[in-house]
Amino acid sequence: MKKESIIKFYTTYRMFIFPAIVALSSLILIIFVILPQLMALLTNQKNVSDLLVRSKSLEVKAATLETYDSSDLARKLEYALSSLPEDKDFATVLGLIQNLAIQSGFSVTSISLGSSSSAKVANAQSYSIKLDVVGAKSLLGVLFSNLEGSIRLMKVSNIEFTNAPNQQAVNSSITLDILYLPLPTNFGNVDSSLPEVTDRDEKLIERLAKNTAPAFSQPTYVSLPPRGRANPFE
Amino acid sequence: MANIAINLLPIEFTESEVKRAKFYKVQAVGIAVILAMVFLSSLSVALRILQSQNIKGVQNQVSASEQKIQKLKEKQVSLLILKNRLTTIDKYLDIPSKQTENFKLLDKLIPASVSISSVSVDKSGSINILGLVPDSVTLGNLIDNLTDKEKNNNLIKQVSLDTISRGRDGFYRISLTIKSS
Repeated sequence: MKKESIIKFYTTYRMFIFPAIVALSSLILIIFVILPQLMALLTNQKNVSDLLVRSKSLEVKAATLETYDSSDLARKLEYALSSLPEDKDFATVLGLIQNLAIQSGFSVTSISLGSSSSAKVANAQSYSIKLDVVGAKSLLGVLFSNLEGSIRLMKVSNIEFTNAPNQQAVNSSITLDILYLPLPTNFGNVDSSLPEVTDRDEKLIERLAKNTAPAFSQPTYVSLPPRGRANPFE
Repeated sequence: MANIAINLLPIEFTESEVKRAKFYKVQAVGIAVILAMVFLSSLSVALRILQSQNIKGVQNQVSASEQKIQKLKEKQVSLLILKNRLTTIDKYLDIPSKQTENFKLLDKLIPASVSISSVSVDKSGSINILGLVPDSVTLGNLIDNLTDKEKNNNLIKQVSLDTISRGRDGFYRISLTIKSS
């Protein structure tokens, strides 16, 4: 009885019921299947293009890194670190300053470490060394040029000199800021871009290599003449 | 006579046939719509599957490149340190400090007859000079040289003559403070 009445109801109103069912099912498909899938498609398309860009840049980065020769890079780094080391490197600096003073025609009367605290000069750090020298006043310019033109980075921060009347030699006290730069703590991640070594950098490395090799590869020993009596028991 | 057609069917029957034909049309359109929806749903699902496979492929490429870079990490670190050093070295190498520039400038500006007994150039670039000047003309020349913007390359901001005294020997003993710009 119930079934018959349903069939009768459907037969009477099928012109409205059938389109309504079609519309409803279409709406359900659109809302629950087509729209979410399309939205996901569009979102993922953006992700795919981002991934492709990342993949491309990583490939380029890997290829660029492969072009560098490890030993060549290590050699260049060695030159750069001799010019601007990661620590204070007192021993090399003291020897170098002494040599530069002698080369400039001065005799060193004393070298002392200035302030032990490190001062920051731009992005590098520095400590001071006080150098007392005796030499011709006319050669002071040469001494400054040699010190500041040295491959080991240093800057003159204070100059004092006294000149006795009618004497060519002057007593000079020069304070030098010796620069050093601690190693960076952040070495970048996989995605970080590689720094470019420009032609200017290459020229600078060549210059460092030229000047570093003799001064830093071989330690300089200053042989002092024997002092006192040959036989102290005589 | 041949063109005359007589419909003897009852009107209710005709109406019901017209309604049925109309319903069949609606039914056909409805089925077509449903089929289209099903097709679109399957298409979108298929596209999603293809896309996820594509994503997997690209992700594999990315991880392969990442592994490659991880293996070359040492080179990357060396390169970063090298560039970091070179940038700083380039900034300082061959660039004279203010103090040496001031010293060289003074050396050029002070007349040869002036006997300098002491010079001090401090960190701020301030220069103190103690000297002996033989006569007033040389003293004038010294002051002119120090204060002339063309001669001092506009590097001297202020010149103060702190003390001046004339000895029995006729020499002027002067104390100068020069502030560089």
